[in-house]
Amino acid sequence: MHRILKVAQREYIETAKTKTFIIGLLMTPVIIGAIIFFTKAISGGEAGPRPPIRVAVTDLSKSLAEDIKTSFDDYNKRNPDRQFLLQRLDVQQDANSTEAQGKTKLRNGQLDAYVVLDEDILEGPGRIRFYTFKPKPANVDAFWTIENFFRKAVENRRYEIEKIDQKLLARLRNVPLERLEIGAAEGTEQVQSQGQRIAGMMVPFFFMYLIFMGMVGTGQHMLSSIIEEKNSRVIEVLLSALSPFQLMAGKILGLAGIGLTVMALWSAAAFAAASWQGLNVDVGPQLIVYFVIYYILGYLLFSAILTGIGSVCNTIKETQSLMMPVMLIFIIPMLGWFKLVQSPDGTLARVLSFVPPVTPMVMVLRLAAGSNVLFVEIAASMLVLVAAVIVVIWAAAKIFRTGILMYGKKPGLFEILRWLRQS
Amino acid sequence: MNAVTLENVCKSFGQVHAVDNLSVEVPAGSIYGFLGPNGAGKTTTLRMIMNIIRPDSGRIEILGDGQIEKVKDRIGYMPEERGLYRKMTARKVLVYFGLIKGINEKEIIHRVPHWLETIGLADWADKKVEELSRGMHQKLQFAVTVINEPELVILDEPFSGLDPLNQELLKAIILEMRNQGRTVIFSTHVMHEAEKLCDFILLINKGKSILDGRLDEIRSRQSAHTVSVELEGDTGFVQSLPMVRAVKSEGKRLDVTLTEQDTQQFLRALMQHAKVRAFEVKVPSLHEIFVKLVGASDAQDS
Repeated sequence: MHRILKVAQREYIETAKTKTFIIGLLMTPVIIGAIIFFTKAISGGEAGPRPPIRVAVTDLSKSLAEDIKTSFDDYNKRNPDRQFLLQRLDVQQDANSTEAQGKTKLRNGQLDAYVVLDEDILEGPGRIRFYTFKPKPANVDAFWTIENFFRKAVENRRYEIEKIDQKLLARLRNVPLERLEIGAAEGTEQVQSQGQRIAGMMVPFFFMYLIFMGMVGTGQHMLSSIIEEKNSRVIEVLLSALSPFQLMAGKILGLAGIGLTVMALWSAAAFAAASWQGLNVDVGPQLIVYFVIYYILGYLLFSAILTGIGSVCNTIKETQSLMMPVMLIFIIPMLGWFKLVQSPDGTLARVLSFVPPVTPMVMVLRLAAGSNVLFVEIAASMLVLVAAVIVVIWAAAKIFRTGILMYGKKPGLFEILRWLRQS
Repeated sequence: MNAVTLENVCKSFGQVHAVDNLSVEVPAGSIYGFLGPNGAGKTTTLRMIMNIIRPDSGRIEILGDGQIEKVKDRIGYMPEERGLYRKMTARKVLVYFGLIKGINEKEIIHRVPHWLETIGLADWADKKVEELSRGMHQKLQFAVTVINEPELVILDEPFSGLDPLNQELLKAIILEMRNQGRTVIFSTHVMHEAEKLCDFILLINKGKSILDGRLDEIRSRQSAHTVSVELEGDTGFVQSLPMVRAVKSEGKRLDVTLTEQDTQQFLRALMQHAKVRAFEVKVPSLHEIFVKLVGASDAQDS
């Protein structure tokens, strides 16, 4: 045991000193922060100038043209560098030929959009037809604005026809709502912002993501550490002092420390960021206990798989092809997390809770999502996980013992199965 | 007592018999050389002793125990493929390997500077391994091997990559260890190294033992009954002496091949006829024995 600790200690210190570790530790929160910052900045900011958009309208109802022109003019006054050029295309002989003419102009590129208002748009089932020809993605936003002008014009005219007071309507429609979150003591109510609600959704994801990064991130260090020992041929010296199992156990233990360090720092950073933003994230001690247990079990499973993979490969490149199928399993909860948060007791969530490599992620997600996970379910999922850990460590130890001293060609699946049968 | 005993050990890699029914006894407190041409099975044998690879059949006992795991702390092993952690400093490498070989933390503080001094790396102690030259790396590897001051030291090609000065340093340390009662097994294909160091040798070729025993006994057994003499005056009579088979003249010296091994009788006969200036019984060098036996065993095989 003493030696396992020594191996673990070296593994921890030498990994913590590598550039990959330090960059990974710092960059992940920086990147996440940057993404949030830029998304906010871009969506909240003013739109820049763009060339004028040419729109033609054929008003078959013959009663809305003026209203529409007014709303276009208002907009153009407010946005001098984002103009809409409106032209009327009135019916000369018959409606069909006029419409065909408008479409031709669209195709020729003389227009960006062509709008036809049906004759019975105000009182009948008629519609607004909005034509475009190979629309530019950049114009999509502007088209929404134009569509709204037409809709609004029709809507307002309909109110007039039905003699509905618009101010009254607005007053009736306005029902104020305040979201309040009460604390444990009286008088600690807080207005819940939109961000708070989103944060509530994100907490389960954050915990799941932490488990994922804790497992996969440290997994990379495991692989590079094994490959380095193999390539620098230090492995034979190590095995003259340690048993293969001691070496493997020490590595797993040392990198568990790395994983826990990373998660503790990130959690602290996330918690600090949340409080700074005024978000109230309340995580019960129970969840943290479960989180740690599930992380450790999940980590043991994953890292044992990686010691097996690392020991039979000679380069990081070779490990990648073997890592692919393992990583694919993790995609399921990563892509489906939203659905899992929404129905944490659904069939998908229940089934995935018993698929060992993703059990920790799914269970932590469910627990953090505040579902009523039965204690039996927690116990059973842990038992399945423990069983998987035992089987995988047993197999990995056998593969590790033989694979770690093999150089040259990567062994095939059958050869590895043969190692497993050896005593 | 034997430090290492191998009984009928066999190991094959596919169709190749790397080690074929090998039995060796290495007495405690001796220096034992495992000699043989490249690919003879030396490294495989050493690796099997270290339980890095398992024999297909046969029995290996090490320091009186069938299981190496129990005695690992009393052994130092330097593999043929050298390797240390490149990013760690020389001092830290020594400390780490000392600790995982079971030395306690108090003891290691004294031992590491001592060994750094012994191998002449005291000034390089805090340099990273990747900054060391090949020779320094090699010496550090040796220090790592013996940092636990083992009873049994197993060195695979310890002299390769060392300059003559460092080779002498290493030889001195090995002899010193033998004098302290430790056992040293090393493999080499450089015969004059073995000649100066070994008490015992094992000569293997294609996995088979072709010669095994005390070096001095082997040499006299392998003696070609040749004597080199220098006489005053006429030397023509030598050819006609009854125990002489052949005479070869090299300047003033005569290389005389005798029919039997009794060199004393030959000396007496010489003294009756002439004044003897020099008389030397020629012992075959290990190199000659090696070439002769390996050549013969190869010829037998083909």
